Amino acid sequence: MKKFLSLLTAVLMLVGCLAACSAPGAGDVAYVKEKGTLVVGITVFEPMDYQDADGNWIGFDAEMAALFAEKLGVKAEFQIIEWDNKAFELEGKTIDVVWNGMTLTDEVKAAMACSNAYCNNQQIVIVKKDVADQYKTVDSVKGLKFAVEAGSAGKKQVEALGAQFVEVADQATALSEVKAGTSDAAVIDSLMAGAMVGEGTGYADLMYTVGLNDEEYGVGFRKGSDLVAELNKFFKETYADGTMMELAEKYGVQASIIEQK
Amino acid sequence: MFITVIQALSEGFLETLKLFAVTLVGALPLGLVISFGSMSRFTPLRWLSRFVVWVFRGTPLMLQLIIIFYVPGFVLPQNPWAISGGRFWAAAVAFIINYACYFSEIYRGGIEGVPKGQQEAGQVLGMTKSQIFFKVTLLQMIKRIVPPMSNEIITLVKDTSIARIISLQELIYAGYAFLKGSHGYSGLIWPLFFTGVYYLAFTGLLTLLFARIEKKMRYFGG
Repeated sequence: MKKFLSLLTAVLMLVGCLAACSAPGAGDVAYVKEKGTLVVGITVFEPMDYQDADGNWIGFDAEMAALFAEKLGVKAEFQIIEWDNKAFELEGKTIDVVWNGMTLTDEVKAAMACSNAYCNNQQIVIVKKDVADQYKTVDSVKGLKFAVEAGSAGKKQVEALGAQFVEVADQATALSEVKAGTSDAAVIDSLMAGAMVGEGTGYADLMYTVGLNDEEYGVGFRKGSDLVAELNKFFKETYADGTMMELAEKYGVQASIIEQK
Repeated sequence: MFITVIQALSEGFLETLKLFAVTLVGALPLGLVISFGSMSRFTPLRWLSRFVVWVFRGTPLMLQLIIIFYVPGFVLPQNPWAISGGRFWAAAVAFIINYACYFSEIYRGGIEGVPKGQQEAGQVLGMTKSQIFFKVTLLQMIKRIVPPMSNEIITLVKDTSIARIISLQELIYAGYAFLKGSHGYSGLIWPLFFTGVYYLAFTGLLTLLFARIEKKMRYFGG
């Protein structure tokens, strides 16, 4: 009888595990609190997540993530990831959240549990400064050869344009393709373009011209994660008490912030 | 700016060196074990060893890295690699197994290349099996495998850059970071190209080292 009972317990535990596995994010709040860290998946992306000269993670998203972790009573840890692997990283539990100016596309919404949108964005065309005058309209850029980040919102826009394009690892590589002359144009997030392209930046010889669409940023968690509700609540509170706007102004994205209600 | 870049690249290079060293320490002996398996007279073991070699030589190292790093988290409640330094150890495991499989075939070639007559001579002289292996076969095998091993080891130096697929921040990664924004700079291309200097210096050193080893081995004659 004893043996039978222990066998039964074992089977029940296995079933319990399988049930838990089917909803991988259900106990996320408890899971994160227990291990004491919120691992934030990022790419290096000015002005959202990037490093200052001392190697500290700064940016609008980075500071919001640190505040959110603080509210949960845990430490935020920033982990650089390959953008293509973001869903793997979440499901594989090597990160807990993707918080990196992520455009809420249909693919993203299907692959993870997303927060409310918190920031407006636009996909914007980048060309070399000396030819920028010729490309002021959407029609005028159709014949260009583009470089876009693999799996990005920019790629979808270029596909919709019907233009030729090559997929590269990230938005910064897309910019360097234009700088190196291997592609005519890149499509990147307008928020990033504002910080990285033009006078006084590393890409001073590039310029942004025409915008292709409007879209929104959100934060992604494991499917079914109970952290989504926590974050939406956090967004509401920080919007109401002005913290969110204060940080947005610090990083120059205040015009793009979406009201949280 | 130059100093900052050199510091950042050197940090990346340290990670590259660490992965290189750990892989060698793990794969050199593991390869010998696998090669014994591949030459075993016990058929199931021989098949198993050859199957493992086939799988790890027959699939891209990049794919092995992704599977070894992510899959445990899909099936377990907590990913064992989700610790600090976990990315490094996941990469190390993938590299050790992958390189052990290549090494095992080089060892096998070296061991089987020693003429059978020498083992028979050992037996005639009354040596035990292990004496024959260590004093006759292994010594000559080492001499034979130096050129192919140096080839693999130099390839390993450069293969470490594949580990950036699981975001291990090695040398290429550190160079690349200056394109995206690192240490307050963005849009710099030259640090990426400059990583080549590190690889060349290190492989140059290894080439000299292997040339010396080969020269020393020459004293066995033949």
